[in-house]
Amino acid sequence: MNRFVNRVTDRFMADLDRPSSAVKQSATALAVVFAAVLSLAVPGLGYSDPVLGISGLGIVGVATVVSLVFTRFQNLERYAMLIPVIDLIGLGAFRAGTGGAESLFSSLIILPVVWLAAASGRRYIVVAGVGTSIALMFPYIVSLTLPSTSGEWLRGFFAPMIFAAAAAIVNEMARQSRKQLSEIKAMAEDKERMLQRTVEYAAQLEESEANYRAYDRLFRGVWAAVTEQSVIGTDATGLIDAWNPGATKILGPTADEAEDKLHIFDFHVPHELEDRARELNYPPGETVLNPGFSALVESARLGRAESREWNYVRADGSLVPVQLSVTKRVDEAGATIGYLFVASDVTQAREVARLKDEFVGLISHELRTPLSSILGYLELMRDDEENPLSAEHMMYLSVAERNAHRLLRLVGDLLFTAQVESGRFPLDARDMPLEPIVTAAIESARPVADAAGIILEQLLPESPAHVHGDPLRLGQAVDNLISNAIKFTPRGGTVTLSLQTSGEDAVITVRDTGMGIAASELDKLFSRFFRATTATRNAVPGVGLGLTITKAIVLAHKGSMSVESEEGIGTQFKMTLPLAPVAAAV
Amino acid sequence: MTATVVVADDDPDIRTLVSLSVVKAGLAILASVGDGALALAAIREHRPDLAILDVSMPEMTGLEICRAVRLDASLDDLRILLLSASVDENTQAVGLAAGADYFLAKPFSPRDLVVWLSVGKEAR
Repeated sequence: MNRFVNRVTDRFMADLDRPSSAVKQSATALAVVFAAVLSLAVPGLGYSDPVLGISGLGIVGVATVVSLVFTRFQNLERYAMLIPVIDLIGLGAFRAGTGGAESLFSSLIILPVVWLAAASGRRYIVVAGVGTSIALMFPYIVSLTLPSTSGEWLRGFFAPMIFAAAAAIVNEMARQSRKQLSEIKAMAEDKERMLQRTVEYAAQLEESEANYRAYDRLFRGVWAAVTEQSVIGTDATGLIDAWNPGATKILGPTADEAEDKLHIFDFHVPHELEDRARELNYPPGETVLNPGFSALVESARLGRAESREWNYVRADGSLVPVQLSVTKRVDEAGATIGYLFVASDVTQAREVARLKDEFVGLISHELRTPLSSILGYLELMRDDEENPLSAEHMMYLSVAERNAHRLLRLVGDLLFTAQVESGRFPLDARDMPLEPIVTAAIESARPVADAAGIILEQLLPESPAHVHGDPLRLGQAVDNLISNAIKFTPRGGTVTLSLQTSGEDAVITVRDTGMGIAASELDKLFSRFFRATTATRNAVPGVGLGLTITKAIVLAHKGSMSVESEEGIGTQFKMTLPLAPVAAAV
Repeated sequence: MTATVVVADDDPDIRTLVSLSVVKAGLAILASVGDGALALAAIREHRPDLAILDVSMPEMTGLEICRAVRLDASLDDLRILLLSASVDENTQAVGLAAGADYFLAKPFSPRDLVVWLSVGKEAR
């Protein structure tokens, strides 16, 4: 529709505003031919001066030829205004040759005058006036005489003035018309551009709507697929506005029952929220009215993702332990508009952990009971004064006792490792000196070292080193390191145990000249049941729990462990423990 | 007068081991039983000076016996030694809280038990 309007407008403009010179000239040419024929055919008309009349026709003919040339060669069109001027001269001559002032054909002059007047530019009004004047005064110009009467003079000025005035009117009308046309055209172009933009915008809208629909489908699919986790959305005050199938499965209510009706804190144990609020020192949050809710979302509100264990209260009042992650929802400007609560039911995980603890406890108990009998009766045998054993039997007995003790230690280690893993790690901590621990460890290791032909050295600090710790556990840790060092050092080697203080720390170092540990294995050394290849290759007994336990003990004392080793040269374990405050140590 | 003892443990080997130590220390065994209910019955019947009880036993645990005994004013003079192979650090504290006087962790040394019983006998 609009294109049609545009095409019509263009055509109209082209025809009206920019007709070719040939088209414009055709009116004058046809009129002159008609006049020539008329003046020959009608008796009484004829030529008063045939030379001038024929010349006039010739000049108009020349103008017509020029107009055809200009039309053919577009770049000459800018000189097109020469054509009506030539026409005026030609018509002036033709008029002079057909009777001068009495000529029937004076009115033909109007045709080039209109052409000139319609041209863009006011100067053409003057050109039209002067041209008319020349055309009308042509007889006097050719005969080089002056008009003899005042009427003749006036004809030379008055008529051109009328023509000029008419030209001015035509010129102005043409200008107005051009102006209007250009405005209409501009408006049409504007409309066209706007329409184009609207079409493009509609296409974009359609595309983004399709994208939105695809995302919406994906989101709904994911939302419905999460059936094992409860996903709950709330506004900033905790009012629930999103509730997934997992939430229904874990907590009971359907989305319709929960959304816009219930708050997230309706599903929490009030005293748990209260405890957490106290822990966080009652954060103000978004709403001071509900400190429990503020505590629940405090980390999320500060932009930290938080995951911790809570108990949800089901619709029927029963509790379900959950691992709950809280994150905040923000609008486009980044302002908090609510929170998301994603929770997994950890009932099973807790049950598994409990069963594991129970199992480990049971196994340890069941293993220790027969060991109690074995060790007890072996001791009775050793102590039986009425039936003393031979030296050989005593030796057999020692082997049995040693292995029973080893089994007992292993059971203890296994249990201890399980306790460390489950986070239950009993420490009986007090302020204690480290020297006795070191000395005792050396003394208890000496028989084994002597038997293995290993030299034991001990370095103690000048000032006493006190730490806050569990003497039994720390003793166990140091014993582990020394017995390892002895196990991994060949006959004739040296094991050095040193205690130093360094700044705020006490440092216990156990250095051996043993077989060492491959660099690639150093980082795995403290993991459970890991055994270095040097240990397995040299058939050194052990199950790979000692270092795990040692490290766990040191970490529980807020200390750290490090190891340096070189295969074939030796190994050095360093245990760093924070010193107890001086006042307490004295 | 020889101090008297009731021994209770569901493991017969341990029960024998304890009994041997008791005899070695010169104390008299009034009863040696394999479950908690029998142990409490024996205590009520024989009114011994000392009861050596395993913590985990069928029918009644050592802890339950302790509590029952401490509710019975007529048994005020009874001393109780609890034995346990439990690895839970709290067992000792729980046992003493239940009314036991002494606690011995398994495995134990019969030699040490004999010494302890002998000393105790003299102290009493």
